[in-house]
Amino acid sequence: MKYDITHKTKYAYSEAVSVCHNVVHLLPRTLPFQQCEQSHLLVHPEPARIGQRLDYFGNRVSWFAIEQAHQGLTVTASSRVTVSQRSPLNTDLTWEQVRDTVATDKSPQGLDAVQFRFPSASIKPFAALREYAAESFPPGRPMFEAVTELTARIHDEFSYDPRATTVHTPLEEAFAKRRGVCQDFAHLQIACLRSLQLPARYVSGYLRTVPPPGKTRLAGADASHAWISVYFLNGQWLDLDPTNNMVASTDHITVAWGLDYTDVCPIQGVIVGGGKHTMTVAVDVIPVEESA
Amino acid sequence: MSTSPVNVQNVFSGYAPSEAGFDEFLDGAQQPRAACRQFVDLLNQMGVAELNRRWDQVQRLVHENGIAYGGYSTPKDKPRPWELDAIPLIISASEWQAVAEGLQQRAQVLELTLRDLFGEQKLLARGILPPELVFAHPAFRRPYHGLIPPDHCYLHFYAADLVRSPEGCWHVTGDRTEAPSGLGYALENRIVISRMLPDVFHNCQVQRLAPFFIAAREMFRSLAPQHRENPRVVLLSHGPNSPNYFEDAYLARYLGYTLVEGGDLAVRNEQVMLKTLGGLLPVDVIWRRQNSHACDPLELDANSRIGVAGLMQVARSGRVAIVNSLGSGLVESAAFSAFLPQLCRELTGEDLLLPTVQSWWCGDPQSCQHVLANLDNMILQPAFRRRGQDGRLAAELNEMPRDQRAAILKANPSRYSARQRVARSTAPVWETNLQPAHVALRAYAVSSGRSYMVMHGALARTSKALAPLELSIQRGEGSKDAWVLADGPVEPVSLLTEPGAAVELRRIGTELPSRTADNFFWLGRQLERAEAAARMLRSTAGRMTGETPSIDLTEVPVLLRCLADQGQIEPGYVVAEMRGQLPAIENELARAVFDTSHSGCMRSLIDELLRLASLVRDRVSEDTWRVFHRIDEAFQPTRYGTTSLSEVLAMTDELMVELAAISGIVRESMTRTLAYRFLELGRRLERSQQIINLTGSCFIPLTTPLSPVIEAALEVSDSLMTYRSRYMANLQLAAVLDLLLTDETNPRSLAYQFVQLADLVEQLPRQQSQPGYSSEQRIARSLLHSIQMVDISAVAEAHSLDDSKQLRRLMENWEGLLPRLAEAISHRYFVHAGPAHQLAEIVPQ
Repeated sequence: MKYDITHKTKYAYSEAVSVCHNVVHLLPRTLPFQQCEQSHLLVHPEPARIGQRLDYFGNRVSWFAIEQAHQGLTVTASSRVTVSQRSPLNTDLTWEQVRDTVATDKSPQGLDAVQFRFPSASIKPFAALREYAAESFPPGRPMFEAVTELTARIHDEFSYDPRATTVHTPLEEAFAKRRGVCQDFAHLQIACLRSLQLPARYVSGYLRTVPPPGKTRLAGADASHAWISVYFLNGQWLDLDPTNNMVASTDHITVAWGLDYTDVCPIQGVIVGGGKHTMTVAVDVIPVEESA
Repeated sequence: MSTSPVNVQNVFSGYAPSEAGFDEFLDGAQQPRAACRQFVDLLNQMGVAELNRRWDQVQRLVHENGIAYGGYSTPKDKPRPWELDAIPLIISASEWQAVAEGLQQRAQVLELTLRDLFGEQKLLARGILPPELVFAHPAFRRPYHGLIPPDHCYLHFYAADLVRSPEGCWHVTGDRTEAPSGLGYALENRIVISRMLPDVFHNCQVQRLAPFFIAAREMFRSLAPQHRENPRVVLLSHGPNSPNYFEDAYLARYLGYTLVEGGDLAVRNEQVMLKTLGGLLPVDVIWRRQNSHACDPLELDANSRIGVAGLMQVARSGRVAIVNSLGSGLVESAAFSAFLPQLCRELTGEDLLLPTVQSWWCGDPQSCQHVLANLDNMILQPAFRRRGQDGRLAAELNEMPRDQRAAILKANPSRYSARQRVARSTAPVWETNLQPAHVALRAYAVSSGRSYMVMHGALARTSKALAPLELSIQRGEGSKDAWVLADGPVEPVSLLTEPGAAVELRRIGTELPSRTADNFFWLGRQLERAEAAARMLRSTAGRMTGETPSIDLTEVPVLLRCLADQGQIEPGYVVAEMRGQLPAIENELARAVFDTSHSGCMRSLIDELLRLASLVRDRVSEDTWRVFHRIDEAFQPTRYGTTSLSEVLAMTDELMVELAAISGIVRESMTRTLAYRFLELGRRLERSQQIINLTGSCFIPLTTPLSPVIEAALEVSDSLMTYRSRYMANLQLAAVLDLLLTDETNPRSLAYQFVQLADLVEQLPRQQSQPGYSSEQRIARSLLHSIQMVDISAVAEAHSLDDSKQLRRLMENWEGLLPRLAEAISHRYFVHAGPAHQLAEIVPQ
């Protein structure tokens, strides 16, 4: 599938901002199953300095600073991305095999995976969660079966409710309320898997919304999305979307991954001045007709 | 006791350390050790009485330093964690040489470990370090990775905690790599003790600390990415509320670097800038004293209020050097100690030269079992150190009963480290005689080229009980200077530039950081406020301790009103009907002076004055400082019984003299830089306000008979002499109002203040390109103009005929303009930028 993606974020300030410094994760990665053909970041007003680098996880990070007084900020990321089917996984693995092998794997892939086994800034372990996770992981169960069941349970037992949580709601609270948004579900599932010493990472990206039959797709209704990736040994990962109870495939466009949301937050910024500010986000994920 | 040489009381007679342990001064036969022999002889010759005399004298210096460099966040705080002891620790040259070589190697190993973990991570691939040690460590923040310091050095300053085992060998108990503290105390201890024992210090041939600081300065100089010759180095402090502020200020002053806080710096055009009155000036090197993760709210801790947004990116681009490099604290965690022998072999091919007290990381199952089996002999520590937060946690952990400790350990083994409990050596501590106390030593190294230079000296901490020394450096009861002896005579060294070196002549003052200007402005205001309060207090107390019962004096109610306006006494005393219900003011006043629960009382004003002065400590002369110190010492309630009003009167007299001394020094010795101007601006603004208050309280409405009130007003405003010389004893309202308000030749008049204000405002730096006058210029000119236009005889005549409208209107006008002037100055010069805050984040849906 080929997509044209536009992600536009607008800030409006009640008072002038004299300086802002920003770090953004908005340009998609290129991966074995994903080709980012072109991507472009437009910032208004024009920054005094702008640059790009790769972060520790290989994500594309852009940073910029605006040093003239401004009343608003618009960041627009446009990309063309082709997503293809991923190579099949070894579904015979038991979850204990994954757990035990990764613990001693000193290969570059193994060391890259093992870092996703430990608590992180927004994902701290707690006892109730460990018990919740263990239900899906009886001894000897195949990994694939266990994680897809866990995904289904989170989808079924938690309600999607944007008013229940904010970016800063602790995991324990979202778990107790059994409510949240994709970010909370992703964090919950990652925490479950890490409590079993299985490597799991947070993936930020976009989801193609499939329009109902006969209706045109509503542009701009979409937002950035989040799901998880769990390790299947030998450098292979399975992406699961607990919000939609599905295995991620060609409908999911990966932008960046990290230990949790804090590593891949789409736009971070520190401003001086500004008073109160409002923010609007619009994401368009438009499938491009493949020319025959 | 006698001080005659034939009959002195030996200092060391009667010192009897336990025979079981190792004592630093006496060997098993209770004879002085070789390195200490000369010191013991010299001190015994000096005798107890002389030692006590010198010690008393030098205590004053210690105390002054304490006030000078302490944060003064609350005046009751102890500025330093422990008391300095009179007896230094003495270590022979050869013994220290071995320690120094060991520390050089250790610093090198930790440096290479940091370089690997923030780079290729071969140590993980080769299995030297378990991945969990790094990846589960909260201090392993991904942004640090791949950040290559300009000089490829991650660890510029290193410190190690040392203990001497019963066998007499020094062992390392811990490493400090984030921003090692204690260096300032080591320096202060040396300056104090060498001043107390100059003869002994010289005879013992003690190696100097200065070469270490010269090496440090050389290191800073070599780091500057651009302006190599004269780099701008700033010491980034956590600020006056931090326990380390004392030494931050002390070191900044000693080395001549600008002391800054996060708010003084900003990133512009991918460069770190210092906010000064003259604009933004580029910073080359940051000596970071705060934790790495607090340094950049954009990429690190979003909640940090003391960081500089965008600093990480500037560091990444190599346009600023940060000492120690961001993230260097990772390897100071206790968990790393257990792996140091392997790391040393892997990274240098050598064995560790200096033994480490055995330690274990409990994340390793075998180590955990061993620790559990030997728990009674172990000190438990959090494996992943969080600097500044762990001290109490670790203390609590080690005071728990055995079972509880075991349970906590078993629940989360990888979060804990353990190290063998050690017996510590003892050293004599001077009280009324010598008593043994346990010793911990912190030694320092600074990177120099490809190796490290170890300081010939250290910070020693002492404690009667063993436990406090095991944990944070803030613990323990005492500290000592540590003398490393030389094999031969010691060359004098100085931190000053060599005589031949060219010095660029500079008269600039615009480099004053905005925050410092702000502090000087408020110091000026507070000096004047304290003086005005003291004058009023003195005049009132003087009348109450006189022969006539004060309540019969016409001017006393007026003076009470002034005191109440200043917040020195309860407002109730102004109202005649309420006065009867309150305790007699004659008794109450002396108490109110020291009632620091009220911010307006005299002692509170002094505390605030000292706090403000300590904020500009690095820019105030020693003499000025000594006066501040004397004020603090002298203005205290009596230790015996209640302080009487006549005692308060005497103290206030003294206070007036000291405040005048400060004004004198400021006027005669302070260069007319911006710091001076802001101090003066503050003072003139405040004095204007005080004159207006005084005039209002005394003459609106008029009291009869008027003469006593006039006399009191003249006395309080220090204009009585001038008045008498002009008008003899003829007290006239017009003449008084002229002297207080419109007489430009009287330095105590309002008009004089307005002339000064207009002049000072004129001299402030401003951008030439701006057309017209600035708002502060306009307000200052308007004040001056309005007072010059006053016909004071007419105003006084109307006023004495009960038409107070004119005088009132004048006063209201001035009273309204003064705060606006203060605001305009503050807006232009102090508030360079508001506080930074985070943009709202996007929630993925």
